[in-house]
Amino acid sequence: MSAPDNKSTSGTNAFGKLAYLVIDDFENFRLSMRHMLRSCGADNIELVARARPAVQYCTYNHVDVVLCDYNLGQGKNGQHILEELRHKKLLQRSSLFLMVTSETSREMVMGAREYQPDAYLTKPINRAMLEKRLGSLLDQRNALLPVNREIDRENYPEAISLCMQALSRLPRYKTWLMKTLGELYFLLGDLSHAIKVYDEVLSQRELSWARFGRCKVLLASHRYDEAVESLQQLVTGHPDYMEAYDLLAEGLERQNKPGQAQKILERAIDYSPNALLRQKHLAKLAESNQDMNTAAEAWRRTVSLGVHSIHDSPSHHLALSHTLCDLSEGSTGKEGVACADEAFLVLTNMEKQFPDNDVLALRSQIVQCRIYAGQEHAQKAEAILEGIRPELTSTHSLGVETSLDYAKTLFRLGYGDEAKVLLRELSKQFEDDPGTLKKIESLMDEPVGFRMKVKARRLNRDGIEAFESGNLKEAASIFTKALEMVPDHPALNLNQVQVLMKEYESNTYQKDLLERCQHHLSQLAGLPVQHGQYRRYLALQRKLKALNL
Amino acid sequence: MKNRNIDFSMVLALAVHDMKNSLGMLLNSLDELRAENEDKLNDSSRFNTLRYEAERIHNDLVQLLGIYRLGENNLSAHIEEHFVPDFLSEHLARHTPLLDGLGIECSIDAEDINGFFDADLLTGALNNTINNAIRYTKTRIRLTANERDGYLVIGVEDDGDGYPENMQHTGTLSFKSLDFNTGSTSLGLFFVSAVADLHKEGERTGYIKLHNGGHLGGGVFEIWLP
Repeated sequence: MSAPDNKSTSGTNAFGKLAYLVIDDFENFRLSMRHMLRSCGADNIELVARARPAVQYCTYNHVDVVLCDYNLGQGKNGQHILEELRHKKLLQRSSLFLMVTSETSREMVMGAREYQPDAYLTKPINRAMLEKRLGSLLDQRNALLPVNREIDRENYPEAISLCMQALSRLPRYKTWLMKTLGELYFLLGDLSHAIKVYDEVLSQRELSWARFGRCKVLLASHRYDEAVESLQQLVTGHPDYMEAYDLLAEGLERQNKPGQAQKILERAIDYSPNALLRQKHLAKLAESNQDMNTAAEAWRRTVSLGVHSIHDSPSHHLALSHTLCDLSEGSTGKEGVACADEAFLVLTNMEKQFPDNDVLALRSQIVQCRIYAGQEHAQKAEAILEGIRPELTSTHSLGVETSLDYAKTLFRLGYGDEAKVLLRELSKQFEDDPGTLKKIESLMDEPVGFRMKVKARRLNRDGIEAFESGNLKEAASIFTKALEMVPDHPALNLNQVQVLMKEYESNTYQKDLLERCQHHLSQLAGLPVQHGQYRRYLALQRKLKALNL
Repeated sequence: MKNRNIDFSMVLALAVHDMKNSLGMLLNSLDELRAENEDKLNDSSRFNTLRYEAERIHNDLVQLLGIYRLGENNLSAHIEEHFVPDFLSEHLARHTPLLDGLGIECSIDAEDINGFFDADLLTGALNNTINNAIRYTKTRIRLTANERDGYLVIGVEDDGDGYPENMQHTGTLSFKSLDFNTGSTSLGLFFVSAVADLHKEGERTGYIKLHNGGHLGGGVFEIWLP
């Protein structure tokens, strides 16, 4: 039997030696927190009202315990502070961060919980509560300090062996120890040990954190199907487990199901719209799915969530302007104009927010030029292009993103040849970088706006369908239509070649079919060896030669 | 305004949320007042009533939000392993000022075991039961925790008159069992029962049990978690 209010002497001593930081926008609350901490035996207590002084204080002082109110009025909230402190490593793992909230509900803290507080304290808080809760957290901190110290030093193997030793000695921290073990093995890339940890936990009981950890390991081991199936069950059973959605979307992407991945992220965002990294993930995914409306909305939110976040970046603003530019292109109606105007505004704000940045200013001009072109303001577009051309002569000094974007603008203004020269130069420069080469190729293949891209892709699908059902004439005419939009597209050209060859097989007197094949293959004369369609190109070239004999 | 399609339950939930936060501030101020005027207020039954009723409304609102989320189907149990004696004593600490004020003696009798449950959900459920016990007890409250038949059983006992015959019950309450005519709507019990029900392990599901007796001879509330 233990009386509820017995002050463990170790607990009281533990309070005294530590440095505290209390962050709350209400003076009354700050004072009452200090009062409570003092009566628990604490002495070194700093009080601040806002994020900026809090971060500043942590920059120059060691803090053991942060007590931070989640809602700090306008500006940054508690989660922003937590992210900034942990991200900048101003707060060690061995220090405690306690989030004080006035809600018991989880939704407001359901974010991309890249960083989680060590505990939540729910208002109203009284002294007895604080003493108990903080006391047991400090006991835990002291017991686990050796492990956390090694993790702070990034000495993971030592941290692992300390965890193993502690398992039998500290059974009450078993969950923490097992979680940490799984994470540490994962960090070290020792996937087989990581999965063993999770399997051991799961053999005793179905626990969502262990199931999640196991799925993470499965994904890293390229066991995509197992991971996706298991994650799907997890989100069905726990519709409020946000991290599971993120991981599931990742798994679906690896399975090459970007459409389904997008749907999953949209569902997660319905529950919890305030996670910047999730919005960014959705924006990129929607963009690659050519769903520009969804992409624009997700980029908008990414930009606005960035205002107080450590994750803010000018690249989000640029990406938003790109998407809006795509949406406005060739659409001079009300909606198109609105998108164009918004894009200009986004760029202006970006330049204001990140001043004295020459590269950003240049990139802004490149986009503006394209927006004008898409809105049929050719003169304005040309004027900008004249101004920036001298600065954009060499890809070496430009960087990949700027060069690609410039090439895109050149294509839109009708300077396709100039763009191709630039892109060839760029691919030579990055011949050892498959990721960059891929980006260059896809721009070369489809140097048109997304609407035309979508149309051409749909025609391609229709053409393949017609071909497979044996309707060759129909297929040929569909591919011809598609090639009018994207004449350099390798897959489309080769599809057309296949159709024409098939047709020739039953009509060998029609020599002009072979001539047309030759025309399409010549179109691809410059196809780089590493291109995904290159082998098919060679095969069809050989076949054509044989037919010509 | 283009969109007149107001989701009324959503509006209610937001309003409840806001009221709950205000009450949180109010409760905080009451505890501060008590701390500053310990000599005057500790024996004041009016102050204790004020504190107790405010806490009760706060709990009701928390439960309303919980039930709203149950209805939206986005409440699920995130089960983790916890050291039960710590969990209970942290809980009791929340009620310490009021218990001291009312002169109610409170003890914890828990085995040194780890239990599997969702701490957030159980916090709401326990607050509700402890508050209930405070209302009906005479002098003492006892929190218990032990393992029985493979279940973790957390109990709240008091030395009051006990539950009336028709309330003694084992199992899960359905929403239909709420009776708005008797004055006592058992909303709290419904919520606690729903929380128990969210705890599942294999084929087994949590449930609640109300009976009389125990060490103190009054009401005994038990939540059985698999």
